Amino acid sequence: MTDTAQIIIHFVVTLLFALLFLLTAATLLSYLDRKIMAWMQDRQGPLHYGPQGLLQAPFDVIKLLLKEDVRGGVAKDSIVFRLAPVIFFAPVITAYVVLPFSPYVTGSALATGIVYYVALSSLDVIGVFMAGWGSNNKYSLIGGLRSTAQMISYELPLVLALVGPVMLTSALAPGCTGAHPDLNTCGIGSISFTQIVAAQMRPEAPWLWFVLLQPLGLLIYFIAGLAETNRAPFDLPEAESELVAGYLTEYSGMRWAMFFLGEYGNMTIVSAITTAVFLGGWSGPGAAVGFWTGLLGPFGGQLVFNIIAIFWFIAKMTALLLGFIWVRATVPRLRADQLMQFAWLILIPLTLFNIVLTGALLLLPLGQTGVLVASAAANWLVTLLFIFGLRRVASVSPFGRLPRWKRAERGRKVVVTAPGRSPAELAGSR
Amino acid sequence: MAEQTTSEVPRYITGPEGLRSEEMILNMGPQHPSTHGVLRLVLTLDGETVVNCTPVIGYLHRGIEKILENRSYMAGIRYMDNSDYLSPMLNETAYVGAVEQLMGLEPPRRAQYIRLLTNELQRIASHLVAIGTYGLDLGAFTPVLYAFRDREGIMDLFEALGGSRFNVNYLRVGGVLHDFPKGWLDQCHKWLDQFEQHSLPELEALITGNEIFDARTQGVGYIDPKQAIAHGITGPILRASGVSFDLRADRPYMAYREVAVNVQTRPEGDAFARYRVRMNEMYESVRLCRVALDKMPGGPIATRTPIALRPPRGETYFALESSKGEQGIYLISDGSEYPYRAKIRGPSFVNLQIMPELLRGHKMADVVAILGSIDIVLGEVDR
Repeated sequence: MTDTAQIIIHFVVTLLFALLFLLTAATLLSYLDRKIMAWMQDRQGPLHYGPQGLLQAPFDVIKLLLKEDVRGGVAKDSIVFRLAPVIFFAPVITAYVVLPFSPYVTGSALATGIVYYVALSSLDVIGVFMAGWGSNNKYSLIGGLRSTAQMISYELPLVLALVGPVMLTSALAPGCTGAHPDLNTCGIGSISFTQIVAAQMRPEAPWLWFVLLQPLGLLIYFIAGLAETNRAPFDLPEAESELVAGYLTEYSGMRWAMFFLGEYGNMTIVSAITTAVFLGGWSGPGAAVGFWTGLLGPFGGQLVFNIIAIFWFIAKMTALLLGFIWVRATVPRLRADQLMQFAWLILIPLTLFNIVLTGALLLLPLGQTGVLVASAAANWLVTLLFIFGLRRVASVSPFGRLPRWKRAERGRKVVVTAPGRSPAELAGSR
Repeated sequence: MAEQTTSEVPRYITGPEGLRSEEMILNMGPQHPSTHGVLRLVLTLDGETVVNCTPVIGYLHRGIEKILENRSYMAGIRYMDNSDYLSPMLNETAYVGAVEQLMGLEPPRRAQYIRLLTNELQRIASHLVAIGTYGLDLGAFTPVLYAFRDREGIMDLFEALGGSRFNVNYLRVGGVLHDFPKGWLDQCHKWLDQFEQHSLPELEALITGNEIFDARTQGVGYIDPKQAIAHGITGPILRASGVSFDLRADRPYMAYREVAVNVQTRPEGDAFARYRVRMNEMYESVRLCRVALDKMPGGPIATRTPIALRPPRGETYFALESSKGEQGIYLISDGSEYPYRAKIRGPSFVNLQIMPELLRGHKMADVVAILGSIDIVLGEVDR
C-alpha cells in the first residue's frame, strides 16, 4: 500500500470513529445519566422503550428531530439565536481530532495537542453567550453572562492543572534532571497527547501513570472540568431552581438537542483528556503491541492491539463519566460568587503553587527516580491538605471576618418565652 | 384580581466613567420551577444582587373561607384539606378544634390521642417535603426523592385510616371518623422504626455536613428574633431565630395537655438553622408518635353529635401548631347550620411577609435558598 492510500484510510477510519463515537457516546451517556442517577435515587429511571429502557435515547433523538422549530418572540429569529447551537457544537466535534483512543485511532497526533484542545474548549463560551443574548429573555441573559464568567474563570485552573504532567514528561526524558541538564541529549517534554501517553507507559515502568505523580492535577482538572461542562455542582448557567433553564430557556427541538449533545460531548472530551494525561491513556493489561504483532503478524497484531487499546481507553473514560454522574446525584449547587471565589482564591493559587513546587523539585540534583519520588510525595501532601483543608478554607471568608451567623451565635440565649394561656381561659373568653 | 406590579421604576445607575447601567426587573413566577407553586416575585436586580422584591400572591385563590361559610360545619372539614395541602390533618384538626371550642365540646381522650398521632405524622410528612424541596432549590436532586419515598409510608398509613392518601377528611367534630383498622398500629410502629433508623440518618448523611449545603445556607436569610416577632412569624422559622414559642408547649391543646413537647430551637436565625429545626422536629415528632402509641387510651373515638351542628351564637379563635406555624381558625356562629364568618390565619401567609425585607442585598441565587427555607405552601397563602 502506498503512503497516500494509508493516510486516506487512516483519515476515513478516524473520522468515522470520532463522529460515530461522539454521537453514540453522547446519546448513550444521556441514558446512563438518567438510569444511574435513578438507581442512586431509589427509583427505576427509563423503562418503557427496549429492555430496561435502553432505547430511550434513540427515541428521544427522534422526538427532538420531529419537534416544531419554535422561534417565537421579536428578536429571537435573529441570526445570533440560530447560530449559537452550531457554534457551541462545532468545537466539540473538532476537539475529537486530538483524542488518542489508541495509537492508530488518533485523528492527528498533533505536536501541540494540549494547546489545540484548550483553545477549542474556550470557544464554547461564545456559543453559550450568543444563546443567552439572542434569546431575548432575561433568564437566558443572566444564564449566558454567568456561564461566560464561569467558563473563563475555570479555563485557567483547567489549563494550569495540565502543566504538571507536561513538566513531568520533560523529567522522564533521559538526562533531563539535576542542576545542569545536558541540553543536547535532553528532551524538553511534550504537549502532544500521544507523547504524554507514551511517557506514562515507558517499558521500565508501564504502571507509572501520572495520577500517581500528580494527583492534585487530576483532582483540579476534574473539578474544573465539571465547571467547564456546566455539570453539577457548577451548573449555574442552567440553574433550574433560579433561572428556569438558563441560556437554554428559549430553545427547543433540534437546536436544544445540539446544546444537549454538545454538553455530553464535552463531558466525554474532558474524561478522555483526563484519561490520556493522568490515567495512562490506552495502557492496560494486554495493550502491548510487540506481543500481538509477534503472535498474529503485523496487520492482525496491530488490529487486535488497537482494539484492546481502545477498550482500555473507553473503560477509563467511562469510569470518569460515572464520576460525573455520581457528583451530580450527590451535591447541591454553588452560588455564583462562591463559584468565582473557589476558582480564583483556591484553585488557581493552588495550581500555580503546584507548578512552582514541581518545577523547583525537578531542579534538585537527585537523579530521575529521586526527583519523581520527591515531586510525587509533595503533590500527594498538597492533595491531602487540599481535601481536608477545603472545608476550613471554604467556610472562612477571604477577608477574615466571621460570617454573620457565627457572630450572631455568640452569647445569644433563647430570648422570649410566650406566656401560656390555658385552654380553659381561652374557652372562657369566647 | 387587579394586575399588581411593583411601584418602582428601574433606576439608572451612572458609573464612574459615565457608563450608564440600568436595574433589571425580573418576573420570577408565577410559572417557575422553584417558587413552590404560583407565587410571583417581582425582583428588581442590580446585576445579580436583589435591590427590591415584591411578592404578588393570589394566583391560587379558591375562596376557601367563603366556601366554609356556605357549607355546614361538618362539610367544611373537607375543604380545610386543600388549604395547606401538605398538612391536611393539621388543618382539619384546627378547624375541628375551633368548632368544638365553639360548641363547648370535649372529644374523648382516645380521639385526642389519635389526633395527636396523626398530627405528628403529618408534621413529619410536611417537613420531609420542606427539606426535600429545599435540597432541590439548592440544586441537589437526590434528597427530594428520598424524602418523598419516606413520605409515601405516611401516605399509606393515612390511606388505611381515612381512605384517602392526600385529602384525608378523617377528623370529625367531636372525634375522628374510624378507629384504627386491623394491623394499623403495627404498620405505624414499623414505619416509625424504619424512619428513625434508616431514613433520617440517610437524609442527614446526604445533606447535613455537606460543604456546599453549608456554604449555601449558613448566614443566608438571617432573621433577628425581634424582627421575627414584629412580623408575626411563627413555627420553625421563629424557633430557628432563637425564640422558644410552640403552641403545643406554650398553649397546649387536646392531648398535648398531657404530652410534654420538647421545643426545638436554634439561635442562628439563618436558613441553615431553619433546616436544622425542621430536622430536629422530625426526631421529636417520632418520639411524640411513640408516646401517643404507648399511651393510646381505650374508649370511644367520638362523642355523639347531631347530624346538623348548630353551635350557639358566639365567636371563637382556635390555633394549633401546624408544621409551618400558628394555624388559626376564627369562627363566628349566628346559631345556624353555617358559620357566619370563617377566617383562616395561615402561617405561610404571615411568614411570607418578611420576604422583601429579607431578600434585599442578597444574590439572586439566594432568593430560592431563602424562599425554600421559609417553606410556604401557596394553597394556604392564597387560600
